[in-house]
Amino acid sequence: MIPPRFEYAAPKSVREAVDLLKSRGGEAKVLAGGQSLIPLLKLRLAAPSLLVDINRVTGLDYIRESGGFLRVGALTRVSTLNRSALLKKRYGALHDASLTIADPLVRNLGTVGGNLSHGDPSNDLPAVLLAAGGELAATGPSGDRSVRAEDFFVGTFTTALAQDEILTEARFPVPPPRSGGVYLKVEQKVADFATAGVAVQVSLDKKSEYARVGIGLTGVGPTALKATKAEAAMVGKRATDRKAAQEAGELAADASSPTTDIRGTEEYKRGLIRLLVTRGLERASQRARRGA
Amino acid sequence: MPQTSHIAVEVNGVKREADVEPRLLLVHFLRENLGLTGSHIGCDTTSCGACTVLLDDKAMKSCTVLAVQADGRKVMTVEGLGGHGKLDPVQEGFVAEHGLQCGFCTPGMVISAYALLQENPDPTEDDIRTAISGNICRCTGYEKIIESVKHAAKARRRRRT
Amino acid sequence: MEVTFEGEEQDPDVRFVRGTGKYVDDIKLEGMLHLHVVRSPYARARVLSVSGGITGNELKATMESVGEDAGGKSAVSFPALSASYVNYVGQPVAAVLGLDRYDAADKAEEVDVQYEPLRPVIDPEKALASEPIHPGMENNLVAAAELGKEFEVKAPIEIEETLRMTRISPNPMETKGMVAVYDGSNLTVYASTQSPFSWREGLASSLGLKEESVRVVQMDTGGGFGSKGGIYPEYVVAAYAAMKTKRPVKWSETRYENILSTNMGRGVRGKMKVYADREGKLKGLKADILVDVGAYPLGGGGWTARWIASQLVGPYSVPRAYATAKAVLTNKVNMGPYRGAGRPEAAFFMERMMDRLADETGVDAAEVRLRNATSRRTTSPLGMEAPPSKQLFMKALRAFKYSSRKKKENVGLSFFMLIPAAYGGESAKLAVKGGRVKVWMGGSSHGQRHDVFAKSLVSEELGIPQDVIDFQHTDTRSISGGVGSWGSRTAILGGGAIVEASRSLKAAAKKKLGKKYSPARLLEGEYEAEAFFKPKDLLNTLGANMASARLTKEGNAVVDEVVSFYDAGKVLNPFMLESQITGGVAQGIGEIMYEQAIYSEDGQLLTASIADTGVIHATEMPKSVVMTAASRSTLPHGAKGVGESPTIGVPPAATRALEVLLGRRFTTLPIEPEKLWATDVAGVKEVRVR
Ligand SMILES: Cc1cc2nc3c(=O)[nH]c(=O)nc-3n(C[C@H](O)[C@H](O)[C@H](O)COP(=O)(O)OP(=O)(O)OC[C@H]3O[C@@H](n4cnc5c(N)ncnc54)[C@H](O)[C@@H]3O)c2cc1C
Ligand code: FES
Ligand code: FES
Repeated sequence: MIPPRFEYAAPKSVREAVDLLKSRGGEAKVLAGGQSLIPLLKLRLAAPSLLVDINRVTGLDYIRESGGFLRVGALTRVSTLNRSALLKKRYGALHDASLTIADPLVRNLGTVGGNLSHGDPSNDLPAVLLAAGGELAATGPSGDRSVRAEDFFVGTFTTALAQDEILTEARFPVPPPRSGGVYLKVEQKVADFATAGVAVQVSLDKKSEYARVGIGLTGVGPTALKATKAEAAMVGKRATDRKAAQEAGELAADASSPTTDIRGTEEYKRGLIRLLVTRGLERASQRARRGA
Repeated sequence: MPQTSHIAVEVNGVKREADVEPRLLLVHFLRENLGLTGSHIGCDTTSCGACTVLLDDKAMKSCTVLAVQADGRKVMTVEGLGGHGKLDPVQEGFVAEHGLQCGFCTPGMVISAYALLQENPDPTEDDIRTAISGNICRCTGYEKIIESVKHAAKARRRRRT
Repeated sequence: MEVTFEGEEQDPDVRFVRGTGKYVDDIKLEGMLHLHVVRSPYARARVLSVSGGITGNELKATMESVGEDAGGKSAVSFPALSASYVNYVGQPVAAVLGLDRYDAADKAEEVDVQYEPLRPVIDPEKALASEPIHPGMENNLVAAAELGKEFEVKAPIEIEETLRMTRISPNPMETKGMVAVYDGSNLTVYASTQSPFSWREGLASSLGLKEESVRVVQMDTGGGFGSKGGIYPEYVVAAYAAMKTKRPVKWSETRYENILSTNMGRGVRGKMKVYADREGKLKGLKADILVDVGAYPLGGGGWTARWIASQLVGPYSVPRAYATAKAVLTNKVNMGPYRGAGRPEAAFFMERMMDRLADETGVDAAEVRLRNATSRRTTSPLGMEAPPSKQLFMKALRAFKYSSRKKKENVGLSFFMLIPAAYGGESAKLAVKGGRVKVWMGGSSHGQRHDVFAKSLVSEELGIPQDVIDFQHTDTRSISGGVGSWGSRTAILGGGAIVEASRSLKAAAKKKLGKKYSPARLLEGEYEAEAFFKPKDLLNTLGANMASARLTKEGNAVVDEVVSFYDAGKVLNPFMLESQITGGVAQGIGEIMYEQAIYSEDGQLLTASIADTGVIHATEMPKSVVMTAASRSTLPHGAKGVGESPTIGVPPAATRALEVLLGRRFTTLPIEPEKLWATDVAGVKEVRVR
């Protein structure tokens, strides 16, 4: 449980960090909160030649609304999300999810950027970003670009980020009035990864029918999943339509591909998705009607 | 020769300098280099919190931070609580309510409780349970630990007024 | 080069909250080397070659079965380092030394071991028919016993059930470790242990040393729960390394190593059959017990199956009983004692049957139990003696407010008997000098705060204030013999020894001082007394638990509250007792809901982190209420054993509470999460709950 040897650099700017990454080809790794990477190093499951510690890069730790997005800087700690009144008021799914991640000590270090760029299908924030229809901003040697959430999570532990790119910001569209989101997670014990998790983000129209529905799934596939069929099926349905919500649960369960492991059987996890999606739609629309 | 980095860390109010390998974990720096053996190691998966310290006033698991990351920053360990032979109210709480048995989880519990009370001087029982949910105790069943934190919260409030 | 406790703060609580406890891993000695053990990645393989570091070709030691594990000579020898074949993932094959743990971990990568993997035997049910895992054996059966007499009986009610308790890791928060120092003729070992004397015996035997030349000193010990009573291969290797290099050697394992290589508890299957009349009165009991002992039958594998079978009847009376018990080898780390060690298995099997009996007869679960409880001391047909139980259980039911709570809540009950590990007795020593009294015990605290009752007993017996008493770490050099701390024994036996030693010390002082004797004069002199206490009477004691269960907002069944009512004898310190019991409640809850060792088909341990093994946090802990029936035992200080009671009584009571809540029958621990979910597995149909 001793990390292998590596070199270490702590650049002060994103540009410098990108240059360092570039200089090592695929051999360098970004160190953010370290709460996923350092455990991997201890297990000697990762052996980068250089760690690029971005904790000393300034200007990556913020939560603000601008240009139609909630913008969360990559170095924002999960515990900062926990304490944000803005999130609690308007970004229910993100706030809920932040409170279910790991434990308070891990949350004090773990970052939003790390949670998203680790590419772990069991991490909780990817499903939230997928449900919200958000995007990510990255900086590489040839400048900045943005990637839609749907295009970002490529495979287990792989994302659309190139090896010399740094994720700088996660963007969640500012929801219109009568919107609400929730994140429901079933875990065995505190600090366990999700047996299954569901993020739901909805907007209702004046007739209390779903105008937009976003559903993201955690821990039931090679990556976090966007349950697109279930989303589409709900649009135009009434917020109180239990049957429709159950059908969406069914569609989401079909779209998931869980595997049996120590947390539960494939069948059970699919069952959880069915139930959590149904329940998630109900709770999200309740919040929407209350304006959360 | 492996790369070493020169670091200067303020530990319990004292500036400590050393040349360390980048891979050195903060908990090993504290325990082996500085002899501060109050921070314990109970796991290798960032699960148990026996290694909890304050880094720039935030509680975290020192087994999952590199010593180089603490360069230029402030660390407080259990040894830094109280002072001059006196116990901090949090430590007093653990003694008064016997919030421990084998004592192995205790330093981490004490630091997590201390961090909680710094931020929230009047926590509910649920707040306490959540605040220590990153710390595992195999001996006590937690009840006396929770009593200890309540005791400490009261004592601190009394001291303030 | 010595580690001393001179000048250390006497109150362990104060020491621990300051972070000034002295655990093995805190030791730093000049020139100390760090030992890293290289382990088998296979559950079963031939070792074709091993090069680098200390190997089994160099160190040919084998392990002795000592301490709580002790089970006499076994047919198979357990090598400290295997050079021929390996039998579980994590088995030591080589060891390297480094200047610190980083250096040692790097060196370990240079050790080269070639294996030829073999097909492992994992399922204990299949192990009986599989080829033997050890060459030269006929099969994998290591123990078989028959208890009671086979019988036939006609009964209107016959219930059969197969019940299981899955293996679990003891997981003390401090992992195993030691520091060995060798001066050319004597070996000193600083140990994280429940039993310095067992270590001395085991190390001396494995290394071919005289016991007198081995000294074992107990450091502050961060929990044990049964896992630190005997000795492990790594201890022998570390001691050997110190002798070889003549430098102090530290071995301090990681949690991963701890989970892989520490004896696990439980891993038992019980086939039970009860015969009863329609009123729920038992007419007969049959059982077949199967214990998975893992790769080497050292950790109690030889005796556990019989031990479980012998206590199946528990606190009840049954006219006839017959049990068979078997223990089989598999390619897993050894089975060993874990808090309760056989007692929880017996109680779980029997109490589950009592609940079934209640369900089949329609008689209330408490009433069924009372109908089978006894008013007299009895010996069961399986050979176990039990005190009268009916009175105490009636008291417990009143204390629980059972009849009124049962109407409103989902509650489960358990009645059980605790058999403390009284064999062998225990020692204590007192020495008066310079106005202070030093106290040693032969087996002592690894979290139970034995100092608290030790001081209060000495102070009571000698009439002296507690603050002149210094409780000492157990050191095989300071006291002439001892056993160890496990099996709910220390408060009763160690306590008894302290009382006896105090009395003989007092007698010696009185003899010397005559009429001038007073506690103050006693303190002015120099006296020493040692006692070895062996109880003569039955020390088996009784307990009961009630648990209630509820659903969370998300529809998960959880245990809400656990009430314990234990016959603890004269309570030496209510505060410590409560803490001990509540700690055991946490382990009981872990056992029914989360804790288990899961193996893949090829014998890889899938639960290899403390999180995955299922140890609970504050957030999963139900409310714990502790009550005691104070009835003095026949011991000089009136105490009774209680340390293991919660791991015996909580699992059956809490399992029943969940069963009542969900209307589902549970036969295997831990209960799978999906069965605690108040819908069907598909997540569609909600289960009707009470
Ligand atoms: C005990 C425990 C329990 C946990 N439970 C949960 C849980 O329930 N849910 C959950 O979601 N997570 C959980 N986690 C993971 C935790 O949230 C991590 O913090 C998170 O996965 C990674 O964030 P980090 O900032 O720590 O990233 P790091 O560990 O520093 O990095 C993770 C990966 O992302 C890369 N990376 C990080 N930041 C950037 C960036 N800005 N640009 C490019 N690449 C980057 C790194 O190179 C690395 O490959 C748990 C962790 C622990 C230790
Ligand atoms: S040692 Fe740091 S969390 Fe366990
Ligand atoms: S007191 Fe032993 S682990 Fe908490």
